[in-house]
Amino acid sequence: MIKVADLHFKYGNIDLEVLRGLSFSIEKGEFVALIGQNGAGKTTLLKQFNALLKPTGGSVQIAGLDTGKSTTGELARKVGFLFQNPDHQIFMPTVFKEIGFGPKNLHLSKAEIDHRVEEAAEAVGLSAFLGQNPLLLSKGQRQRVAFASVLSMKPEILVLDEPTTGQDYQEGIEIMEMVLKLNQLGHTIVFVTHDMELVATYAKRVIVLSHGRVLLDDSCRNVFYHPEILRQTNLFPPQIARLAQMFAQKPALFSRPLTVEEIYHEILNLPESTPNVCCS
Amino acid sequence: MSVVANYIPRDSFVHRLSPLTKLFWSFLLMTLSCFFRDPVVLAGLFLSIVLVALAAGILKEMFPVFKGLLFIAGLFILFQIFFITDGRTIFTLIPGTGIGRVTDIGLTGCLAMGARMIVIAASFPILMGTTQIKDLVVVLVEKLKIPYPYAFMFVTSLRFVPTFMQEMDQIIQAQSSRAHRLDNKNFVKRFLSICPLAIPLMVTSVKKAERMAISMETRGFGVGKRTNLHTKEFRTVDTAVCSTLLLLGVAALALHFKGILM
Amino acid sequence: MTVRDHARETVISVENLTFSYPGSSLKALDGLSFRVTEGEFIGITGPTGAGKSSLVLCLNGIIPHFQEGTFLGAVKISNCDTFHTSCAELARQVGSVFQDPEAQIVAPIVEEEIAFGLENLAIPPREIDQRISESLELIGISALRHRATTQLSGGQKQRVAIAAAIALKPKILLLDEPTSELDPIGTMEVFDVLRRLNQEHNLTVVVVEQKVNILAEYVGRLLIMKNGKIAYDAPPREVISQPDLLTSVGLRPPPVGDLAFKLKQRGLYPGEVPLTVSEAYLGLSECLASRGNLHD
Repeated sequence: MIKVADLHFKYGNIDLEVLRGLSFSIEKGEFVALIGQNGAGKTTLLKQFNALLKPTGGSVQIAGLDTGKSTTGELARKVGFLFQNPDHQIFMPTVFKEIGFGPKNLHLSKAEIDHRVEEAAEAVGLSAFLGQNPLLLSKGQRQRVAFASVLSMKPEILVLDEPTTGQDYQEGIEIMEMVLKLNQLGHTIVFVTHDMELVATYAKRVIVLSHGRVLLDDSCRNVFYHPEILRQTNLFPPQIARLAQMFAQKPALFSRPLTVEEIYHEILNLPESTPNVCCS
Repeated sequence: MSVVANYIPRDSFVHRLSPLTKLFWSFLLMTLSCFFRDPVVLAGLFLSIVLVALAAGILKEMFPVFKGLLFIAGLFILFQIFFITDGRTIFTLIPGTGIGRVTDIGLTGCLAMGARMIVIAASFPILMGTTQIKDLVVVLVEKLKIPYPYAFMFVTSLRFVPTFMQEMDQIIQAQSSRAHRLDNKNFVKRFLSICPLAIPLMVTSVKKAERMAISMETRGFGVGKRTNLHTKEFRTVDTAVCSTLLLLGVAALALHFKGILM
Repeated sequence: MTVRDHARETVISVENLTFSYPGSSLKALDGLSFRVTEGEFIGITGPTGAGKSSLVLCLNGIIPHFQEGTFLGAVKISNCDTFHTSCAELARQVGSVFQDPEAQIVAPIVEEEIAFGLENLAIPPREIDQRISESLELIGISALRHRATTQLSGGQKQRVAIAAAIALKPKILLLDEPTSELDPIGTMEVFDVLRRLNQEHNLTVVVVEQKVNILAEYVGRLLIMKNGKIAYDAPPREVISQPDLLTSVGLRPPPVGDLAFKLKQRGLYPGEVPLTVSEAYLGLSECLASRGNLHD
């Protein structure tokens, strides 16, 4: 689906390379988190996926299309990009027209557009709001309008730039659950976040970027149990992983849990060699 | 925008002058250029501006600005020159026909107008390049008695230019990702394609303005008399420069009215 | 009240505060009452729409002076009633830092930004210069004095905003989701500064945040808001010890706290509910050691 080969990139007027020779590929249906400290190049990399930025060296292929030779408009059919701030795109007088903007740009038939808008609104729970002015909705609702606007273009690949930043816990979970459902239906997901708990809960694979290079590219569990490498990027593994790693005995006490449920069940299943005299 | 209004830090005589002096110089140039009609004299005025840029050590940075001004003046001359038909014909673009006649009066007149445009515009970037905004504001408020909120608006709008350019970039990227096109051949369509960019920009601008206003209110803005951390004094050298400029200006005008400098 | 409480001044007193925005029958704030004594470090949290930002705006006088609406009840800052005291006067008591690092910085250079509030209050120039130095020093960003504000990172911008607020020497520092747009490093930088201001300079700090984990680690008292009311007001350990409290208002309990609570229910975790990973390690070690699971 996504093939990155020796990707180099620098902005026009600055000499410093932001991306320095990245190579990896993402298959259909994967759920990948892209993490790294500020300035590592995460958003710059995401924008390569729909040709908002084009490689200055190497190449990026999206579903067979070379991004260097394609426009963002052409890639919009394959790649849906959810930006952090919904107010950067909302401008239509009704939610219906807003969600329909993308499909309209794809020159679909009116019937098809109407169908897709209703489907997308249903998926995000905004069917009742189709006639309202999106600018007057709450922040969380506007975020869902933006999400529906992306969904209505039916992209195979979904790219999300900090989907939960600036939202409360409930709103964040709602968005991620919708994304998870889409992944289960076969969509490929790539998301950038600072929230390691979120990564531990949803991502199957994690790519760690540092100074424009891939530092680690592995399963979620493997990445968070590589603390020496992560430390180079000033990132902390999720709390439970940190806790488990503090028990440094061999053989390891825990089998690399990431969530509360996992470590809880492991603790319960540990053999008791002395009766429980612990505590109240 | 940034080249025209940006402060270029140097330690030159011109930089050290009070903003009032530089404002006076700019104003004097504009006044003189309205009187003179001889393109050679006006070109001389422009040369004096270039020399000031050199003295300030910012000539290199001013090249693109001067180039731009020359280009605009050139365009202006080109559009006007074929329509002035008084005087002796110097040459014709397409000989044998009446099309594209350039006369001597036409040539001098248009060159003068072009040169005047350049002189009027050229001093502003030098003023901004050698004066820190905060000093300019202080002078506007304290010496020229412009109410602080207006001067503040001017400064702040400049400070926010990069911010809004960034916002605009992000909006363009967000809408392009929805297959929005900005390069329609059809003029009307191209005009309408601004809408998905203009509305989000307006909305985010208004939001930012409100947040900024709240931030300012919580720091006592607009209550009344304020003090200034830095004040640029008007020193002896400033008086000397202003007097010299004034004398030169009066002399030039005297020569003009005597018929010597036209 | 103990003798110690008497000696500490009440710096914020909110009584039955009720507020609705114009044109809305919904109460953004609904009969809020609480007090803050000098030197406290308070965290306010809650889901979107709970009224946290509205509360902040009431504490610095923006409501009712700048933002209209229906205002009932009273807010007193060091015994000044905000309804009858101008924002500018309140600025000497309460410094405010907001969420958007871009929109609250008005000046092109850091030094001018810090000077802004001081100039507005007509402080003499020599004193302004001194206060700028002190303020930057306190926050640890003296090196940024002559930097262009547009070239700063998010964390740096927020620290400049804090420096600009404390230059006015307020007793209280009020922050509305200051780390919302920052990465974890920037977040820690900001909270470390707040902790230092609170502990070393007795500054009363009130910070609104969504990140319960961070609040649990730094604040001494947690106010949970929902629907314009205070749902709970207690030290963080007490709040974390009752995870359904947090989930009932739509917040996520910190994972280590959640784990300890579950283990406690089975009698497996000793001592208090942990607020940090280190505390959790100590508690869990004790638990596992007593079961013979730990060996070297």
